This record gives sequence, structure tokens and C-alpha cells, in this order.
Amino acid sequence: MILSSWIPLLGYITVFSPIIFLLVVGFQLLIGRPMSEFALGRWLKSAIILSLFATLAILAIMLVTGSRREIVDMGNMVAIDRVHFHFHISLIFDRLSVPMAILSLVLCGTVGAFALSYLHRDAGFQRFFLSFAMFLVGMVMASLAGTIETLFLGWELVGLSSALLVAYYQERPTPVANGLRVWAIYRLADAAFLAAAVALHHQHSEGNFSVLMGNEAWPAGKASLSEGTALLVGTFLLIAAAGKSGLVPFSGWLPRAMEGPTPSSAIFYGALSVHLGVFLLLRVSPILDQSALLSSMVIILGLVSAILAAIAGRVQTDVKSALAFASLTQVSIIVVEIGFGLRYLALIHIIGHACMRSLQLLRAPTLMRDYKTMENAIGKSLDHGSPWIIGWLSRSTQLRLYRCAIERGYLDSMLDACIVRPFIRLFSMFNRWERAWTQWLSGSHKVIPIAVEDASHE
Amino acid sequence: MTPQLSSTQATSESVAKSALDLVHHAIEHAKHYLPTQGPIAVFIHHNTLHAFEHLPFDEAVLEGFRTYGSQPYWPESRYREEMARGRILDTDLQAVVLHDLGGSAANDVLAGTSQYNLRINMLRDPVLTGSDAELRWLFAESDAIERFRNGVDPMKRTEMIKATRRWIMRDLQPHLSDTEAAIPSSLKSVFEAFPMRKLETWGESTWQQLTLQLLWRVCQNGVHSTRPFSSPSHSFNRHRDVLLKLSHFDCDLQVHDLLIRFTSAFLDQGFAAWSVPQRSEGYYQCFLSLFAEKSPWTEKWLEPLKAIIASERQSGANPTESIVRSLAALGVSQNDFEKYIKKTLLALPGWTGMVEQMATNASWTLHPAPKESLEEFLAVRLILDRLAAKHCLDEHLSHRAIPLPDLLSIGSSSERYNPRRKTVQQRAFDLFQLAQRSAWSPHTLFTWTSAEWQNVVDAIGSFDDFERRRMFHLAYEYRYRTQMLDAIAEHSVFPLKMPSDVSVQVITCIDDREESFRRHLEELDSSIETFGAAGFFSVPMYFRGAADAHFIPLCPVIMTPKNFVEEVGPLSAKQAEARRTQSRMLLGIASKTFHLSSRGLMSGVLTSLLGSLNAFPLVARVLFPRLTAQIRSKFGRLVRPTVATQLRLEHAEDSETTDKGVEGFTLEEMANMIERLIVDIGMQDRFAPLVLVFGHGSSSLNNPHESAYNCGACGGGRGGPNARAVAQIANDPRVRALLKKRGLEIPETTVFVGGYHNTCDDSIEYFDIDRIPLTFSSRFLAAHEIIEKARRRNAHERARRFYSLELTCTDEVAQRHVERRSEDLAQVRPEYNHATNAACFVGRRGRTRGLFMDRRCFLTSYDPTTDDAETSILLRIMQAVIPVCGGISLEYYFSTVDNVGYGCGTKLPHNITSLLGVMEGATSDLRTGLSQQMVEIHEPIRILYIFETMPEAILSIMTRNDLIDRYIGNHWVQIATLDPNSNTIHLFQGKQFELYTPGPGQLPTVSDSLDWYRGWREPLGFAKVQSKGFVSLPKVANEVLR
Repeated sequence: MILSSWIPLLGYITVFSPIIFLLVVGFQLLIGRPMSEFALGRWLKSAIILSLFATLAILAIMLVTGSRREIVDMGNMVAIDRVHFHFHISLIFDRLSVPMAILSLVLCGTVGAFALSYLHRDAGFQRFFLSFAMFLVGMVMASLAGTIETLFLGWELVGLSSALLVAYYQERPTPVANGLRVWAIYRLADAAFLAAAVALHHQHSEGNFSVLMGNEAWPAGKASLSEGTALLVGTFLLIAAAGKSGLVPFSGWLPRAMEGPTPSSAIFYGALSVHLGVFLLLRVSPILDQSALLSSMVIILGLVSAILAAIAGRVQTDVKSALAFASLTQVSIIVVEIGFGLRYLALIHIIGHACMRSLQLLRAPTLMRDYKTMENAIGKSLDHGSPWIIGWLSRSTQLRLYRCAIERGYLDSMLDACIVRPFIRLFSMFNRWERAWTQWLSGSHKVIPIAVEDASHE
Repeated sequence: MTPQLSSTQATSESVAKSALDLVHHAIEHAKHYLPTQGPIAVFIHHNTLHAFEHLPFDEAVLEGFRTYGSQPYWPESRYREEMARGRILDTDLQAVVLHDLGGSAANDVLAGTSQYNLRINMLRDPVLTGSDAELRWLFAESDAIERFRNGVDPMKRTEMIKATRRWIMRDLQPHLSDTEAAIPSSLKSVFEAFPMRKLETWGESTWQQLTLQLLWRVCQNGVHSTRPFSSPSHSFNRHRDVLLKLSHFDCDLQVHDLLIRFTSAFLDQGFAAWSVPQRSEGYYQCFLSLFAEKSPWTEKWLEPLKAIIASERQSGANPTESIVRSLAALGVSQNDFEKYIKKTLLALPGWTGMVEQMATNASWTLHPAPKESLEEFLAVRLILDRLAAKHCLDEHLSHRAIPLPDLLSIGSSSERYNPRRKTVQQRAFDLFQLAQRSAWSPHTLFTWTSAEWQNVVDAIGSFDDFERRRMFHLAYEYRYRTQMLDAIAEHSVFPLKMPSDVSVQVITCIDDREESFRRHLEELDSSIETFGAAGFFSVPMYFRGAADAHFIPLCPVIMTPKNFVEEVGPLSAKQAEARRTQSRMLLGIASKTFHLSSRGLMSGVLTSLLGSLNAFPLVARVLFPRLTAQIRSKFGRLVRPTVATQLRLEHAEDSETTDKGVEGFTLEEMANMIERLIVDIGMQDRFAPLVLVFGHGSSSLNNPHESAYNCGACGGGRGGPNARAVAQIANDPRVRALLKKRGLEIPETTVFVGGYHNTCDDSIEYFDIDRIPLTFSSRFLAAHEIIEKARRRNAHERARRFYSLELTCTDEVAQRHVERRSEDLAQVRPEYNHATNAACFVGRRGRTRGLFMDRRCFLTSYDPTTDDAETSILLRIMQAVIPVCGGISLEYYFSTVDNVGYGCGTKLPHNITSLLGVMEGATSDLRTGLSQQMVEIHEPIRILYIFETMPEAILSIMTRNDLIDRYIGNHWVQIATLDPNSNTIHLFQGKQFELYTPGPGQLPTVSDSLDWYRGWREPLGFAKVQSKGFVSLPKVANEVLR
């Protein structure tokens, strides 16, 4: 009993040491007196080590006391009692969140240490670590979130920092365009998430996972939703997860995200960010149990994504895109596992995959040397030619399939055609109407036509 | 068929034929402008502006700017920073401006202001400029017309105010109220703002204001009637440029996105698990078959592609004809073919250049491209350009209804804005600033005639941004050159600085990185003598190590080796060796399988489920790179070949002979090679008992450019095997016997030992030490001890440039630090490679021994006293050092002055693609040149060669060798000669050598190198290291060179 009274304190330490780091980095930049690289490194290391040890201590306490779930309530951020609205912050420590938090901290720590020397003397050093700190806070928050609001908060921070880091090289047009694309898809996912959160709130007037998923510890919970609501909420959450994890039809952003410095690609798109969507699915997995239709949607989405990513990955000629698609393949398979209810397997898969992929991405620039080493060991050139299965296909099927792979499943142009264009068209129309309306109101009857081209091209 | 008809047909055919010829010709012409960097696995430093070597350097860099849009020099602000920190002195500027103007320096732009004065004034303080709007703001909102500019000499200020005051009081006052024309009305309006009645009571600040306002008004009036100084504009537009201007939409983005994806797939050297189908049919055909089908989700701009491909196929699918068709569809007239094709090929220079390289210069790669690939690439590119331009017109400019073929004419008729042409306000502002600095008071300006105004405007205009930067650059070079030549003049006085009793001779590569290593060796033991020779040591060969898959050439790229040399294990351990090979192979296959399957579908599941095990190497490698490397190497030893290997150097009876070459060398060839080496470095008449030969190379992790850090003379390979071969050959008694017959006697008491110096972690490895006669072991061990010390000191000296290490660290800490660097995945600057290279000394070491040159100088050993009358040895050496060191210097120069344009930008987002090169991020052009991290400490100057010879010898060599003549005559490199018998120096200026008069400077004297470089991060000047050991021998009798 006495042991577990430590848990709230440790929980606060876990979350607040990254937050303090973020504030420190932000504040020193704000007042225009950036600290030395060394000092920043010390702050980073202390923040992560402190947070990691607090989490490990909680884990130890939970193991000793045999508790399988601990909740640290941090109160309401916003409370409007009259309409029963509160933005409630609480942390949950269970078999899902503790491994995820440890994974996030270990990887952020390692990649952070890597980035400290990788970005040594880079002009954007401070800017990088500002985004990195934001990401760290977001990841810890999201992993440990006990309410859907908390999860959303972390989710947003992760999204914002990811997009900023994709556009890290802001003086070149491609990173900025790709950053914008990532950001737009993240916003779509956020909107779906928010819709799901509102729907849940509407049902229960609060977003506590312990209330929503029943009082048993993960993964045993049982959602207290009707099948219809579960399907609705689940679909929204699935869209959110698909956006964040780059599943079909949003896969196009993942290879485009490889614009920032190598460590950011490693931590974000190899390891953590890309798993956040599947983590969300794991967190709300009791909802999936409620609806067989929903579960099968999850499985199908995972399968389609996995196959597409596997095919597209095979034709990539640059190491970072190839790794991006390899990541996506595994993430999709994890989604399938979740759909089948294999939650522990999915969790182990996430952890293993994140570790492996970040190491692979971190050492991606050493590819030439690795190939040479392998060549020397084997004694001949490495030429993969084509997978055996391709040989079975007819020539025209081969061409069609290859074309589809090199176009990355046409997903980007599909999104452009189905979402971007109609969206722009719709809002240009509103624009025209509004002008006409105001013109009419102001008495001038000559309607000035507005060219559609004024709208954004992206 | 009527005769008439057939004649029209004939004409149209001949027209078509000439169009095809034009296309061919244009491609041939444009080819030269593409980057010539090949696959990154073999990185060869070369002159980035190789295509312009026929022009003088100054013109070439401007031509480079016009062709690639990349900067010729650093920005002016950067040079000003260098001035502020004392790297460029005012005297340097004076000297170079004076020299550059030559006879016209004293010519007056105006009475009292010479050309020289004007230019110096413009260099000393920045002449600011801005758009008209900015200038308006400046005068409306700042105190530009209330106070003199900062930095204006107070004396001059007072003088100007006084002169103005006199002028007004004496001449203008009476006329102020006149209605007619003594003073122009525009000036009168200036006075209106001042209380003219109280003229006599004005204070200093009022007079100052009036002076400045008058000045500004006079400048504006005066400049108004002048023509702006204009330089010819060379702009030529592609459709994309016109469209970008009209619609702000860049259609190259779409085209490149697709083109890069397809080109990288086509050129892929085996990275992708599935290579592009129909690749063998060539670029164009492969593209046609892949994109022939239309899918429902094809991007909108690509929709007409299906129809185009069908029509291409119908008309025979010939790439050249396709180019002509595309150009016609785009409305490009035949006269513009050349310009248009050049500009189109240069729109994506990296990839386009790689297509050409793979087609013509890469027969050694796994998948070279077919010969005509560049043309096919252009055909495809133009089809895509057509589609993108059409799409852009339809989508963004539909309201203007411009037909595609008319686009170019619209582009050329629209106003040609020349940014270098200054507006009236800008010209006036230039003058306004200069007037303050030169104390031209308003009343002087007021009296100028319009011809005088024009004169001044032209003089200012002709000294534009590029010219000013050129002057700064020359001054920047001048500073280093003066220091270097003064140091050499003072230091190289006779007697030669030679060890009294040579115990060990060390031969290293001429590499600038070995300068410090050699210096430390000499400092540590005065009986050590060092030599520098091109690092393949005259042994050109294809080499394959015992654990290597392929033969690689180890010689300069201009040579093609004819002999194959292999490293083989001992016969006695044949079986054990086979077992090792077997287990290496198994491990290799295992790691390949893991590598591929981790990216696969189901196999990926397995690997990633076990992936958490990766957490250990991940954390270990990032946090403890050195320790991890040590552990890995312990395990690696289990499968590595035994140390007891040897080189199969000699040609045997049963050796294989292929069309590529033969296995091994004959004794005769071996003797030739050793003779060449020994004679070139001038070592023939003195052999120490122990001769160490060190090849060099570098190893680092996470570094796609790793090969660039290796030995340039070994074609980007590691020079260890060459050193080993030299030792093995020179120790061979049969070779020695042959040499003796030719009059070159290597005493029996001399033993050669080969070694390898890793310049990244400063480790030294020896070869075949078990074969050193036992009577020599103690000698070798003694030398080994000194070398150990020297390499640690070398590491320490290098470490001063690394900001991540304390300046006060010890040798051991520095050594550990550089070892860690080479094994650290997170390290983007494993070493600084050739950065800071600045000079090359070709001559006897005795003349530079003991001179601290800060690792900035290539050192080539050459003894002018043993060369023949034709200086054939020197010619041979120059043929190597001029293009190699010159290429290194120029590549560093261009990558430094414009790292984004000529270099490959920052290394951090680099992404290896197709195993051929690096892109920035997800997709970009293939980036060539050097990265920002490689050049950040470099000082961009052209290399300064000092040859110990007579000027006539160089001039004669220039007439005999075209390449050398181009480099020297066009000033791509700086050349000086040091007289073999005195310390007289001649410097090549313009078209001839001029006697150089050294300054009075006194070299600082220090007791050892550490004494000099201690506590300092920046580049260091020269110093005389007066180590205890130096003995000066009496002047060696020299034969006078003719």
C-alpha cells in the first residue's frame, strides 16, 4: 500500500520532466539566448533519464504489488459544468501503456543522443530539438493517456512536431510541400479522431478509458457501447489511425516524410509516430470487439495496406523510401493482428519493429559499405533481379503491377482526385457565392468573376 | 510521282535529316556541361567546372554562373567577415586592386579621383543597394539624409560640410529668391524646408542635414540623364520558365517527380528487390512499355500520355525523331535547338549527368546503361515536358487561351528584366554613398557635366557585385600566397635541412593530410627522413584482397592497370582458410537474407518480432561506438583471413592472361616500377637501413562519400596494398640485381616494410612484418615506437579542428577521440579530408623540413639536381599533381563558395539512391560535389604550387603538355618556382613569371609543433619548428639546371 502511494508522484515526474524540457528549450529560444549544444544535451539527457526511471519505478511497484492498472488523475484542464463538459487529464499505467512509454523513452533517448552529435553545428540545431522536445512530450502523453482528451493532446503534439520536422529544410520547396501534405493528412486524421471523441463524450459525457472500456485492465476490458455506436466511433478511430499510420489510402505521405535529417526520419517514421495509429487501435481494442463488421474492416484495411506496401517497397530504389514502405508493411500487419484480437502479439510486434527499424534508418547512410561487406563475404555481386513470383506473371501483368508499384498504388493521385480537387472546387464555389452576395448587398450589381486559379494548387 | 512532288519530298526529307543532325549536335554540345561525377562508390575529386577549362578562371566562373546559376565566389558579406577578423587586410585589397587595374589604375574617373581610389572606396565599405521601394523607405524613415553614414571619416565630413556652407553662403544665398535659373528649382525645394533667414545661426547638425539633402538631390538630378551601365543578358527560357512567370506554377516539379522515380529505377545497381521490366531495351523503350497503359487513377497531367505513346510507336519509336517531334510540338525553332536542349538537360543536372556517366563511363558497374541513353532520356523528358506544359496551360491559364507552341515567343517578348541593370534611384544611391566617402561635396557634383556623370556611373556600374567579389577573392588568395611564399623564401635557405645519419626513411603519399604526420616523425627523431610520392607508388594494379569479392583498380583514374594482383593465404593453411571463407559466406548470406527479409511481408514479421533484440546494438552503437567496434572486431576476427597472407605479385608461367590484363608482373616490370618510384622522389643515392612505405585510406561509418576520403592516387581506393607491393618488390633480391645493372643499387643492408595509414582513426598497420629479417627486428621495433608516438601527435594536431573535443586534451584522449569518430554512426565529420588544402610543394624535403604548414600543403618529393635537361621527371610529376591536386583544390573551391549549387548541400538528409549517389530527402536531383560538413572549415582559394625548378622549365613543360598549359595559363591554379640553388622565387602572373620580392617578415620559431598550434582552432600561419634534432649539412653540390 505504501509503495503504491508513490505512483502519483512518479507519474507526474514521467510526464513533467519532458514538459519542463520543452519549456526550457522553447523559452531560451523565445528570449533569443540559445544555450550551448552541450547544455541542451544535458537537459535532454536528464529529462529522458528522469522520465524513464520514473516509469521503470512504476513498473517495478506494479510488479511488486501485483497491480495491473494504476490511474493517476491530474484533474480537469477545462471544466464547464453547466454543459457537463470537462477536458480531463489523467494517466493510466497498464500493460499497454508502460511498455509503450518505455519504448518511446528509450528510442527518444537513443535517437536524441544520436542527433546531438549528428546535428552538431547545424544551423537548425535548436529548432530541431524544439520539435524533438515537442514530440517527446506528445509521445509520453499519448502512451500514458488515461482519457481520450489526453490521448488527443499527445497525438496533436506528435503530429505538429512531425510536420515541422518534415519541413525542416524550409529553404527548399519539396520538403515544405511534403510537410504540408503530411500536415494535411494528419489534420484529416485529427478531425476523425475528434469526431470519435465527441461521439464518445456524447454517449458518456466523459472520455475516461476506464469508463469507456470497462473496469478491467487492458487487454481484458469490455466497451460499454452499443454495436451501432461502436461501429460509428470505431470507423472514425480507424480513419484516424489510418491517417497517422499511413495505411491505405493515406500511404502516400510516408515516403514523402523522409525529408528531414536522418535521425528525425528514424524516430518518427521508422519507429514511433508511425505506430501511434496502431497504438490508438490497441488502446480502444475493446470497441473493436463490439462489432464484427468493424473488426473485419480493420483486418481488410491492414491486409490491403500490407500487400500494397510490400509491392511498392520492392521497387523503391532509395534506401529511405524502401525502409518507409518496409515499415508500412509491418505496421499494416500489426493492424491485421489487432483485427484478429492478438493484442499481446501486436504489442510485441510494435516494440520489436520500432527498435529494428530505427537502427536500420539510423545506419541507412552506411548502405554502400554494408553492401560491399556483404558482397565480399558472399564473393559475388548482390543482384536481386526480380522476386520469383514475378516470373509467373504474364508480361503485361508484370508491367501493370510494376507501374502500380512505382506510382505507389496511385494513392496520391486518388486522394487528389477524390478529396483535394472537390474540396478546392467546393470552397472556390463558396468564395464566388460570397463575393456575389456581398456585392449584391453593397449595391454594385456588376458581379466580378473570380478565377478558380486563385485557390491553392496543393 | 511527278518530279515536283518528289523534290518537295526530298527537301522535306533533307530538312528532317538536318533536324536530326541538329539534335545530335546539340546533345553532343550540351553533354560537356553535365556533371561528370560517377557512381559514388568511387569518388574522384575533379574540377567542378571541367567544361570551362579552356577559359581563364575569372571568365569561367562567370560562365558557370550563367550556365548553372551557381555562385562564382563567396557572397560579399562573407568576405567582409573575413576582413573583419583580419584574414583579409586592407593592404591586400590595395595590392590586388592595383595589380588588377594595371596601367589604368591612375586614370582619373574624375578630376582628383582615380579608378583605383574609386574601387578601393567601394571595397572598404559596402555599397548598399535595394529595390526602389526599399530606398524610398530608407529615405523616408531612416536618418540617411540627416546624418553621414557610419564609417565616414570625420575629417572628410567636416570638410564636406564646410565646403557646402561656403558654397551656399557665397554663391547661392543671393539667388535663392530669384525666380530665374541660377539654381535649378529642384534644389530650391530642398532649401524650402530650412529656415533660410537665420542662415548664420545654424548649428552643425542643420548644416549636416542640408549638405546631405543637397547631395541626395544633386545625385538624383545628375544621374537622371545617364544611361545605366548594362551587361549583356544571356537568359534563355524554357517553357517551364515562361509558365512559372505567368502562372507561378512550376511544372518541373511534376516532371521531375516522375522522371526521378523512373530514372533511378532504370539506373538502379541492385538495390531494389524488383528491377524495372524491359530494362534491357533501353531507356526510351522501357519507358514506353511501362507507361503505355492508362490506369483509372493516372495523375491528370499524364492522361494524354497513352495517346502519345501510341503515336510514338506508330511512327517507329525512334528517340531522335521523337525529340524533333517534341521540339516541334513545343514550338522550338531549329535555331534554338542547341540552347533549348542544353537548358533542358541542365534542368535536372545530377540525374541527367548520371545517365550519361552510366552510358559512357561505367563499364565496370553491374548494370551500365546502353550507349545512347542520354538521347533517349531527353526524348522521354521532352514528352513529359510537353504534357506538363500543356496541363499547366489548361489548368492555370485557360482564360488566356495560349496555344502551346506560342508560349516561347510570349516569354521572349515579355519584358526582359535584367537584374544587373540599375534604376535611377539605385544609381543615385550608389553615388550618394560614394560621395560621402570620397568627400565629394554637393557643389562639386553640381558642376559636373553630363559626360562626367556618365563616366562615374559607368565606373561604378562596371565595378559590380561580381567584380567586387572577385577582388575580395583575389585579396583572400593574396594573403595566403604572400604568407606561404615569404615563409618558403625565409625557410628554404641553404644548407638543406637533412638528417645527419639517416636511420629510417618513410615514404608516404603526397596527401596534405600526411604533412603533419611527416613533420611529427621528423620532430620526434631527427634521423628520420621522409618522402612524398603519389600514393599508388608507381604500382598500378587491379587488386583483390583475400576477403574481397572483386578486383578494384588501385591507380590514378587516368591510368588503366594491366596487371592483376591477388592477396592469397598461406598454402599450409589452405583448409582452415577455406573454412573461414565458407563461414564468411554463410554469415554474408545470412546478413543479406536478414537485410532483405526485414523489408519483406511475412519474413518481415519474423524479423521484427525478434526486433527488440536490435535495441541492444542500437543503444550500444549510438552511445558507445568505440567499445562496440572493439567487440565487433573481436568477433570478426574469427572469420577474417589469417594475417599470414601474401600478395601474388609475380607473373607465373601458368597464370591466366585475359584481354583485360595479366596476372602479376614480370621481374622486368617490377624493376621498372621501383626504379620509377625511387628516381622520382630522388632517393637513389642514399638508402637508410629501414625504408617504410605507407599507403593511406580512411574508414568511416554512415558516410556515403567514404570513398572520397581515400587515396586519390589510388582512384578512391585504399593504398595499403600498393605500399605492401612496393616493399615486397623492393626486397626481392632478383629485382635488386636487375636494378643494380641499371646503376641503381639498393644496399643489402636495406629492408623495405609496407604499411597502411588510416587517416580517419590515425591507426597504422604493417604488412609482412614476419618476413623482416630477424637482424632487423630491433631496428623496426624502435621505428615502430616512434611511429606510434607520431600518429598520436598527429591525431592530437588534427583534433584541434574538431569542436567536439577540448583544446587542452592529451595525445591519448585525442587518439581515442579519432578512433571513436571513425566508428560513430552519428558522426558526420569523421575527418576533414582535404579541407583547408591550399598549396603544393614539389621539391626536396630538405627545403621545407621543419616548416609548420598546418596540414594545408601537398608535399611531393622531387630532386631537381638529378633531373635531366628536359626535366622529364618534373613533367611526369606535373602530369599527376596538376590535375589531381588541382582537381581537389577546385572541387573544394566550388563546393565551398556555393555549397548548394556546386556542392551537395548538408549531409544530414542525404538518402542513398540506386547505389549510385545521394538525394536530399525523399526525392531530389542527384547531388554531386562535396557536402557542407566536408567543406565548412575550408578556405576557398586556388591551390598554390611551388616547384623547385627554374621558371623556364615550367614554361617549356607548358608548351609540351596541353592540360598543364590550360591549368596554368588560364590560372586555374597558382604557380611559383623556387630556385634550386637559392631562395629566389618567381611567381606566374598574367602570361609570364615575375620575380617575387618577399616581405620583411620574420617566421616565428617554436620548439615543436605543439608549441605553435596549442590552444588554437582556426587555420594557423607558418612557423619554423626548431627541434633539437636538426642538423644542417654543408651545401650539397648542385648541378645547375638548364
